[in-house]
Amino acid sequence: MATEHQAPKRVAIRDGLLTEPLDDLAKVRLQGSRCRHCNEVTLGRNAICPNCGGIDMDPVALADHGELWTYTVVRHKPPGDYRGPEPFKPFGLGLVELPDGLRVVSPIEGDVDSLKVGTPLRLKISVHHTGAAGEDVVAFAFAPRL
Amino acid sequence: MSDVVILGAGIHPFGRFDKTYEEIGSYAAAAALADAGVAWRDIQAAYLSRMYLPATSGARILRRLGSTDIPIVDVEAACASGGVALRQAVLAIRSGEADLVLVLGTEKMPRGFMDPRMIYSPWQVEMGMSLNPSYWSMRARRHMYEFGTTDLHIAKVAHKNHRNSVHNPNSMYQKEFSLEEIINSPLVCDPIRRLEICAPNDGAAAVVVASRERAAKIGGHPITIAACCHSIARFSADFRCPADSMSATANNPGPTEVTAKQAFERAGLGPKDIDCFEVQDTDAFCEIEIYEELGLCGLGEAGRLIDEGRTEIGGDMPVNMSGGLISKGEPVGASHLGQVVEIISQLRGQSGKRQVADAKVGLAHVLGAGGNCAVTILKN
Repeated sequence: MATEHQAPKRVAIRDGLLTEPLDDLAKVRLQGSRCRHCNEVTLGRNAICPNCGGIDMDPVALADHGELWTYTVVRHKPPGDYRGPEPFKPFGLGLVELPDGLRVVSPIEGDVDSLKVGTPLRLKISVHHTGAAGEDVVAFAFAPRL
Repeated sequence: MSDVVILGAGIHPFGRFDKTYEEIGSYAAAAALADAGVAWRDIQAAYLSRMYLPATSGARILRRLGSTDIPIVDVEAACASGGVALRQAVLAIRSGEADLVLVLGTEKMPRGFMDPRMIYSPWQVEMGMSLNPSYWSMRARRHMYEFGTTDLHIAKVAHKNHRNSVHNPNSMYQKEFSLEEIINSPLVCDPIRRLEICAPNDGAAAVVVASRERAAKIGGHPITIAACCHSIARFSADFRCPADSMSATANNPGPTEVTAKQAFERAGLGPKDIDCFEVQDTDAFCEIEIYEELGLCGLGEAGRLIDEGRTEIGGDMPVNMSGGLISKGEPVGASHLGQVVEIISQLRGQSGKRQVADAKVGLAHVLGAGGNCAVTILKN
C-alpha cells in the first residue's frame, strides 16, 4: 500500500496579509483594502479604514512590483522570536513604494551593499518557516527586478 | 485658569545600577520634595510615568516615603510617558482638584535591543522588522537622499551630545568621542552607528508641581510651565515603530510639528524665543529631523545648522546641553522628566560648565512608538 504524501498546510504569517488561496505561491499577492469613502489603500484585510474610519472597504490585490523608497541593513540579529536563517545573516529592510499608493515595510533580498533608493523591485512570496503545528508559514519579501 | 509651576526637581543618575526600581524612583522623588521644600504628606496626587515596570509601580515606589491615601496613577505613552504624566498633573491642578502634585518618571530596563513584544506584532518579530533602529535608519536614508544630509552631519550630532555629557554627572557615559571614533564605530542599521544611538538603561527623575497661589505660600523659585502638550501621530504622519506600511499620498504633518505648534500657541512663544532645548535623540539623525520639525530651520536645512555649530551650548539655539539620550541613555519612563530637570537647572543658572548664558525659556521634547510626542515649555 502506497503511503499518501500530504503537503503541509500553508498559512499566511499574518491573517489577512496575503491573497488566498496559498497553494500556488506564484499567484499570491499582498492583500490590500481600498476605502470607498476616502479612497485610501491600506495594507492587509481591513474592515475599518485606518485613515477615515470608514466601514465600506473593498479588498484589493496589491501590485507585485514597486520601487525602493528607503532602506537600511539590519546588521544584528533582531531580538525575540526572529525566524530568519540560522546563523544570522545581515539583510536589507526597506519601504517599498507600490503603484497602489502605499509604501510597505519589507525585507529586501539580494546583496546588502548594492541597495539604492529607486531600485525596481518585484514581490517574492515564499515559505518563511515551519510553524508550531508543522504548518508552512508563508511570508513576503521584495527582490531587485532583473 | 490657574498658572501651574514647578517648585522643585530631583534626579537619580541615568545608568545601570545594582538597585531596584523602587530604590531609584524613591531617591528621585525624595530629592524633588527636598528641593521644593515640601513634605510628602502634603502632596495630594502623584503620577508615575513608566513603560517597563509592573502594575502599580507608582504606589510601590512612593510607599517608601510613607503610606498616605492619595491617588497614585501609573501612566504610559512609550517615549512620551513623562510628558503625559506631567500633563496629568497640570490638568489636575487646573481643574482645582489639587494644588500640589508629584510627578515621577522611573525605569529599569535590560541591556540590548528593547523587547520587541512590547511594541510589535508577532509576525513583524518573526520577519525581523522589530528593531527600532531600523526605522530611524530608514528615515535617515531618505533624508540623505532628498536633502543631501551626510554621515558626517549625523556623526557631528553624536559628537556634540557626547561632548556635552562630560559635564553632566547624571549621564551614563560622560565621555567625549572623536568624530573619527564615531564614524568608525560599527553600523547597527545603515547608516546609523553604535556611537550614534542611545541605550535603554535605569534612571528616575521627578518634579513637584503646584498652582501659582500654593507656590507663593511655600516660597522658593518657581518655574512656570508655559505649555505641556501631548499628541499622537495622525494617519501615516510618522514612520516609526511599529508601522508596517505608510501612505504614499497622505500628507499629514508629523507629531513633533503638531505638538510643538500647540505648545508654542499655549505659551505665546515661537521657536526663536526658546533659549535652550532638550530633544529626543534616540539616534543622532532623530535630532537632525527634529531641528526641522520644531522650526529651528527649514526642511532639509538641518545639516547646515549642525555644520555651523548653532546647536552647540555656545550657539544661538543650544540643543541637548545634558548630553541627550545618546549619552545619558533612555530609561523610557524617566527620559522626559530628565529633560525637564535639565531645563530647570539651566533656567536656575545651575548647570556649571554646560550652562547656556542667560537662559530664561527652555523646551523639552520626546517622541516615540506609535508617534507619541510630548513638548513641555518652561520659563523663569
